[in-house]
Amino acid sequence: MISSVKSFSYHQNIIQSNKCFTQKMSHMERSLNLNDVWIKVSEGIEHIYKIQEMSAAAYMDLYSQVYNYCTNTQSHGYATKPTIKSTPKQGGNNRQNNIHDGANIVGGELYNKLKNYLKTYLEKICEKGLDLQGESVLRFYTTNWEHYRFSSKVTNGFCHYLNRHWVRREFDSGRRDVYEIFTMAMEIWQLVFFQPLNRQVTLACLQLIKSERQNEVINTRLISGVIESYVELGFSENASVSASNHPITSPTLAIYKEFFEMPFLQDTEQFYRLEAATFLVHNSVTEYLKKVAQRLDEEVHRVQSYLHSSTLAALIKKVEEVLIRDQLEAIYTEAKSLLHDEKHSDLALLFKLVSRVPNATVELKKIVEDHIRQMGIDAIERVSGSALNDPKLYVETILEIHTKFFKLVQEAFSSEQGFTAALDKACGKFINNNAVTTAAGNTTKSPELLARYCDTLLRKGSKAVEETDLEEKFNQIMVVFNYVEDKDVFQKFYGKMLAKRLVGQLSASDDYEESMISKLKQACGFEYTSKLQRMFQDIGVSKNLIDQYRTYCEKNRLDDIVDFSVMVLSSNSWPFSAPPNFVLPAELKRTFESFTKFYTQQHNGRKLTWLHQHSKGDIQTLYTKPKYILHVSTYQMVVLLLFNKFSRWTVERMQDETQIKVDLFLQVLCGLLKSKLITCSEINDDELEEDLKETDVKMNYNIQLADDFKSKKIKINLNVPLKSVEQKDIEGLHRTIDEDRKMVIQAAIVRTMKARQTLKHALLMQEVIQQLSSRFKPKIPVIKKCIDILIEKEYLERQSNEKDVLRYLA
Amino acid sequence: MAGHKIKLQSSDGDTFDVEVEIAKQSATIKTMLEDLGMDEEEDVIPLPNVNSAILKKVIQWATHHKDDPPPPEDDENREKNTNDISSWDQDFLKVDQGTLFELILAANYLDIKGLLDVTCKTVANMIKGKTPEEIRRTFNIKNDFTPQEEEQIKKENEWCEEK
Repeated sequence: MISSVKSFSYHQNIIQSNKCFTQKMSHMERSLNLNDVWIKVSEGIEHIYKIQEMSAAAYMDLYSQVYNYCTNTQSHGYATKPTIKSTPKQGGNNRQNNIHDGANIVGGELYNKLKNYLKTYLEKICEKGLDLQGESVLRFYTTNWEHYRFSSKVTNGFCHYLNRHWVRREFDSGRRDVYEIFTMAMEIWQLVFFQPLNRQVTLACLQLIKSERQNEVINTRLISGVIESYVELGFSENASVSASNHPITSPTLAIYKEFFEMPFLQDTEQFYRLEAATFLVHNSVTEYLKKVAQRLDEEVHRVQSYLHSSTLAALIKKVEEVLIRDQLEAIYTEAKSLLHDEKHSDLALLFKLVSRVPNATVELKKIVEDHIRQMGIDAIERVSGSALNDPKLYVETILEIHTKFFKLVQEAFSSEQGFTAALDKACGKFINNNAVTTAAGNTTKSPELLARYCDTLLRKGSKAVEETDLEEKFNQIMVVFNYVEDKDVFQKFYGKMLAKRLVGQLSASDDYEESMISKLKQACGFEYTSKLQRMFQDIGVSKNLIDQYRTYCEKNRLDDIVDFSVMVLSSNSWPFSAPPNFVLPAELKRTFESFTKFYTQQHNGRKLTWLHQHSKGDIQTLYTKPKYILHVSTYQMVVLLLFNKFSRWTVERMQDETQIKVDLFLQVLCGLLKSKLITCSEINDDELEEDLKETDVKMNYNIQLADDFKSKKIKINLNVPLKSVEQKDIEGLHRTIDEDRKMVIQAAIVRTMKARQTLKHALLMQEVIQQLSSRFKPKIPVIKKCIDILIEKEYLERQSNEKDVLRYLA
Repeated sequence: MAGHKIKLQSSDGDTFDVEVEIAKQSATIKTMLEDLGMDEEEDVIPLPNVNSAILKKVIQWATHHKDDPPPPEDDENREKNTNDISSWDQDFLKVDQGTLFELILAANYLDIKGLLDVTCKTVANMIKGKTPEEIRRTFNIKNDFTPQEEEQIKKENEWCEEK
């Protein structure tokens, strides 16, 4: 109410002066005397700084006063000489100076008077605040700031003409101590108000913030007022150094940074360092981390609600440093126990916080990797006794670990790349190097067991029933497969077992076989599976061939040969080798010859090698009642067919007749003796029951057919694989792996050198290792050896002047 | 806000209703409105330095130019010329010298940059290509140089005279 009354009276006053002004105008004798102008302007300012309402008329009058004052000398440069005489000496001199400069724009005195006025005005107010502390100083500072700022804005407005001309002119002519009125007002504030009070004010802000951090409710408006003021003062700082035409340019925040942000950050550090120390004494690290997360949120909110946004990054960084980086040791230890206790959600929080600190996740990844590796090694250690010969157990143990930790990486580490890599590394390590591989004495045990697991799944009668299940199992196998280093070993074993399944017709389904091969192809490329694929194809081709052969037989009336089928396998693709020769009995000979004739007619120039060790057949016992059907291998058949000639043989004569190699022959004979189809007078039943060894059968023993052979089944399968043969197979495979690898390495070297022509030794090594990494990890001495072999074979030579450079010889 | 009007009062007491957006081409009025946060329509804004005839012209000009883009900031490097006066402005400024000068003063007082530019350019065009004597005649300026002074200045400026 009071203010509106005052405003009213003031309005009156203005109108009066307006009249007066108009009168003078009509007399063409304006009152341009600085003192007269100043009386009016200072009245206006006083009014403005009291935050009283102002009318448009009053405002326009002030503007016109300033305008008239500033323009007068300009437009009547010479004509106003009499006026100069009438003005006080000081002002006159100044104006004359202006004329001297050639810039007859006045304003300097008015500017200085304004400046002095504001200074005195503020000094008087400031005194009242000098002894205030805490919230009262904040209230004092912010209230006055808001008033002052607002009033200065208005003052700046009505002094617009002064800004536009005199200030601008001064600034352009190089003066750097004049500013637009508003900026000048800010400068005065900084000098008169801010300088004596800022320590108290900042301190009070920090105390309030501390209280808030201790969960007290505070009046944030007090702080944000101060912050606004500090930020605005930064604007004026910059005005003097601006190079452009416009005195006010971008903010520098210098005042805010120096007088608030710096002490604030120091305070923050102190506060949180203390909190971290005391909190960790009474709480677990996980509790602590929850607290940290909450604190970080609070600080973000703090900046958003009452600080300057530029502080956010520095503040958060500081808090992260104090609360996370400086506590990393404790956090890492906690990570280990959380991993151990499988607390995924706590780990997720821990990860989220640790990843805020640069490079801090490196150690965390290592911890995770070590943990997974150790868990993998432990798990395999526990089953190592049986897993060595139980591919299913072995692979499933690995998968269990993988699945478990895949889930961990997903849940706790959001499948972040680095942690996925850590999982992969850890799996790679424990899969290729664990209790089982150590027990086996070589790292190639893993691929072998994996291949054998495939075999159990793909064989007829496997227990993995459901089709969808099987597909899923294949995918899991591929997971393990990707970690296996020696993929070439897997390829060997897989090929070997695939061959057996195909030849023995033991595959559960062609579709499964094909599906698995295509998965391997996807993982390792066409070349890796080309042999497997060709094996698969051969079987199909053979089926057609047999049909053709049957038609051929009918056409040529070859009806006296035995019912017979054959698989023709290309020798390059199949891991089989020809057995030593033996004498084929007459009963079979005709059939073999007839097929050979048929085949060579069709494919001239091809050579057929009979793989008797993989062949089998059925024979019937005509001498017993009932007649039994015996399912036997070719060797067994050859031995049994001897009894068509004579019913008694010595061992020596049998071997001589058949020409089967002695050790193999004795194995076959042992098998048949155990089946009791034949008997040996020198060996009694007890010996037979116990454990008959090949060495127990002497060459001079007598063998005869058991006429009284009895069995519960009519069909008897005698074709069991010979154990020693199988064992030898595996050993043989491992032996050939090293030889094969040498060839592969040499091929890689030649390929590389052919492309590069000359290459440094070390680079060549690197290239070869790189090329082969998808198959196996070549050992460096082996590569060196291969290089030597190639030099010897004159594929390569050492450069004569540089010994470590190799050259390709075309 | 469109159509919202304010009252402007000339030095001789006439009031004009003007759309706020048009009036705001005057930086002086714009700043004042912002500073005082005025919105009551009754408040009359007195303009003690502009008479009725000139204020009318100014409002006419501002109304015509109300949709112009804001004039570019002055820039030392920008090439300036006086040939870019629109034909509307040319017609608008076909007034006697006294009125033209009063328009310049009003534009300066009200801080209407576009109007100030175009009026000053018009004056510049009146000076262009004239001899000092012609200029004196055009603007009715008394030659207050002594013959000696005049000789001296001519000598000093000889170099820029066209030969």
